Amino acid sequence: MTKILYSDDLTACFSAWRKEGTKVLGPVQQAKTSGFGEVQDAKELDLDLVLTDRTLKELFFPRTEPMLSYSIGKQQIDTSEFLPSEHPCIIFGARPCDAAGMAIDDELFNWDYRDEYWFRRRDRSVIMTIACKESDDFCMCTSLGLAPDSAKGSDILLRPLTSGKGWQVEELTPKGSKALLPIASLLKEGTEEAAPTAEVPVLFDLEACTTWLANPENFESHFWKEISERCIGCGTCTYLCPTCHCFDIQDEGDTYEGIRRKNWDSCSFQLFTMHTSGHNPRNTQSARWRQRIMHKFNYFSDKFSVHSCTGCGRCTRECPVDMGVRETLQAISTLPK
Amino acid sequence: MTETNSTAQKNIYKPAVMKIAAKRDEAPGVKTLRLEFQNPADQEKFAETYRTGMFGLYGIYGEGESTFCVASPETRNDYVECTFRQSGRVTTALAAAEEGDLITFRGPYGNRFPIEEFHGKNLLFIAGGIALPPTRSVIWSCLDQRDKFGKITIVYGARTVADLVYKQEIDEWAEREDVELVLTVDPGGESPDWKHHVGFVPTILEEAAPAPGNCVAVLCGPPIMIKFTLASLKKLGFEEANVYTTLENRMKCGVGKCGRCNVGSVYVCKEGPVFTAEDVSAMPASDL
Amino acid sequence: MSIQQQYRSRAKELLQDGSVKMVIGYGEGTTATRRRPIFITNPDDTDRLVLDAACKTNLAGYLLREGLLADQKSVAIFLSPSGVRTINILASESQLSSAQVVVLGFQIQGDTVKALEGTKASDFSPLIAKRKEKRKAQPSHEMTRKLEQMTPAERFAFWEGEFSRCIKCYACRAACPMCWCRRCVVDNNQPQWVNTSSHTLGNLEWNLVRAFHLAGRCVECGNCSEACPVNIPLHLLNRRMTEEVLTAFDHYPGADEHQEPVLASFRKDDPETFIL
Repeated sequence: MTKILYSDDLTACFSAWRKEGTKVLGPVQQAKTSGFGEVQDAKELDLDLVLTDRTLKELFFPRTEPMLSYSIGKQQIDTSEFLPSEHPCIIFGARPCDAAGMAIDDELFNWDYRDEYWFRRRDRSVIMTIACKESDDFCMCTSLGLAPDSAKGSDILLRPLTSGKGWQVEELTPKGSKALLPIASLLKEGTEEAAPTAEVPVLFDLEACTTWLANPENFESHFWKEISERCIGCGTCTYLCPTCHCFDIQDEGDTYEGIRRKNWDSCSFQLFTMHTSGHNPRNTQSARWRQRIMHKFNYFSDKFSVHSCTGCGRCTRECPVDMGVRETLQAISTLPK
Repeated sequence: MTETNSTAQKNIYKPAVMKIAAKRDEAPGVKTLRLEFQNPADQEKFAETYRTGMFGLYGIYGEGESTFCVASPETRNDYVECTFRQSGRVTTALAAAEEGDLITFRGPYGNRFPIEEFHGKNLLFIAGGIALPPTRSVIWSCLDQRDKFGKITIVYGARTVADLVYKQEIDEWAEREDVELVLTVDPGGESPDWKHHVGFVPTILEEAAPAPGNCVAVLCGPPIMIKFTLASLKKLGFEEANVYTTLENRMKCGVGKCGRCNVGSVYVCKEGPVFTAEDVSAMPASDL
Repeated sequence: MSIQQQYRSRAKELLQDGSVKMVIGYGEGTTATRRRPIFITNPDDTDRLVLDAACKTNLAGYLLREGLLADQKSVAIFLSPSGVRTINILASESQLSSAQVVVLGFQIQGDTVKALEGTKASDFSPLIAKRKEKRKAQPSHEMTRKLEQMTPAERFAFWEGEFSRCIKCYACRAACPMCWCRRCVVDNNQPQWVNTSSHTLGNLEWNLVRAFHLAGRCVECGNCSEACPVNIPLHLLNRRMTEEVLTAFDHYPGADEHQEPVLASFRKDDPETFIL
């Protein structure tokens, strides 16, 4: 016997949560792209998508956010902080690869110094993931040791029923269980079977890759230039990656008042590491591509014991010139160590 | 070694407000600011956490923040000094600020010089041009506890006499009997009454030939100078593990989050800016 | 012989006899319908080249990549007519020498690809002249007309809506062969002319500035809209600019390499007496 949530009851669940003062967000079509938006009725959701175009990370790390405002006088400076509200919210229907990305970034945003902007949003949110029945040509979660029904980063895992009428409900964290209390009466006990999860073929040998990347001799390999020859150095892969977290800090305003913002940035951009002196440690696109791969599959894992990638495939799916980490890792796994 | 942010719920991106207590012209385009915390709690926190070697992000709201070392020693932690060259947007604004103006400071961040490991040893300080500030903070940390160390030698050079920074302090070091000062300017950079050496730092260093035994070297300078000076030090018998240096890189957050300052897998803001020459040799040279 | 086979042989010959050091073309992509830019230097690798109706990207921007043409050697490149126009514009803006570019010209017609005669950019001038007339005679695209019929407030609301999605990834800039500035206007911070933040105002500023910088230079290759990961119809802005410039100055960008840039040239018989 497992807890079952029927899709017919979903809108009622949303109402129950909203009555408690909790916002509900889910995957929606937003004028030509899909992302996460606030919903009131279940029919606003698009749960048939293999994966939303935009990632879950935007809910915790917006593409631009005001951090501080400043107001300068001769004798003093007044600042106020734009700390995110603690208004609770439930994210219904994220994919396991997206949720895993959030858990990965938790480690970074808490590395000795805690980023309150990230954690206030994380702490107030409950993530309910739906296991994937389908995948597309770009999915590669299994290559990263994850799966279409991975639990990482999720509070509640919903497994679609074979009947298509709803989901089995699997409680993963105390936070998740607590979130089910307001809808307890809407959950049924049942024995309905869950549909099999998507078959996602493993596309490369991750361990072979990490061994190659960890070898200092390969840092200077000609491979980097060859594999990144067509990269045009935009920020698409970075911005649509659930784990990429690099940012810029920019002041907008004048000498008297303004706002200090945290904005997305990308190591693919030419100016990312440019010194004021004019020296740029990563002056070629191949050096920048190498940084991207090394950071995700060597440096990050070196510090946090997990790679900075969940195999969601967006980098390849969205890249204007069909790059993405997949081709690089497939190529590396065939190279001699 | 990293210093943990002990106060819970503190906003790591919110800087402390500093008043410019003093401003000094060091060299063409180079200024020193002495800053005092406006909030006693910030001063207390700084005194608790600051160790020589750490850096800060100095800023002006509306312009941005710029990263420099803290040029004042841990033995004099009731103010913060920074020395910088005017080169970009933020440093231009900082250079234009006057005594009494308010600027911002975030820090201190990063690791430190393990000064207690230098106790009982001879110290060799080598710096070039605008790279004297981080060395200077170690020099004063040691001179403020002079009896803990053996022989202290300072080798400092700049392109021209005008480019030497901390000119007053150089005179003080020259006067002291417990410090050997070797001062040089590049060929062509001397003034008519120049009494010290003329030559590039690595050459002058080799001529001075300090003994490597029981000696720790602190070497700061532009990459090209470090390369040649390190070669000279090795010629003199120094081992890379006993040569300390600082690295700089483009920074924004200073706390390991914005993903910008790493050299290979090493984050300059978290695992640096203080490194041994051995650490630096292990880093991928083409990422520097 | 299919056009693909024909051009593979041609590419192989050019590499074997040393006429070119590299062939820039299309290869298979991650999926059956995708194509990706590839860079062939070994004559034996020319079998990787693909040419079919899916080969839509304008590859010309790769000629400016990190000193590729600095050694004065030639490069062969697969180009459609808009790609050839791109070469002309880049040459007129002193970004490359057309003498170093060997054109493998093709045109997509529905599901098929037609080979175009010619090896230098200038060989295609008659074709481009015909396309200019065709463009002039072409009525405005339906969406352009719709936008034209809106009130300014409605039009602004339309673009505000579109640009609220922009994430400032600069894929449009990176994919556009005309965006070759080593230091883009948004990368200047003394002063910061254009906000870097990706709020709606910052997005509007960026996209409008780019559209203006492309006026009289855009060849309507579609790279920008294809590249945009959030499906903003950038080509609508550029198309409108193109029509404006065509009507006001009879200027069809990339007609030949001696064409003067429309926003950077002045003639004594210009209707206005001052540059504005």
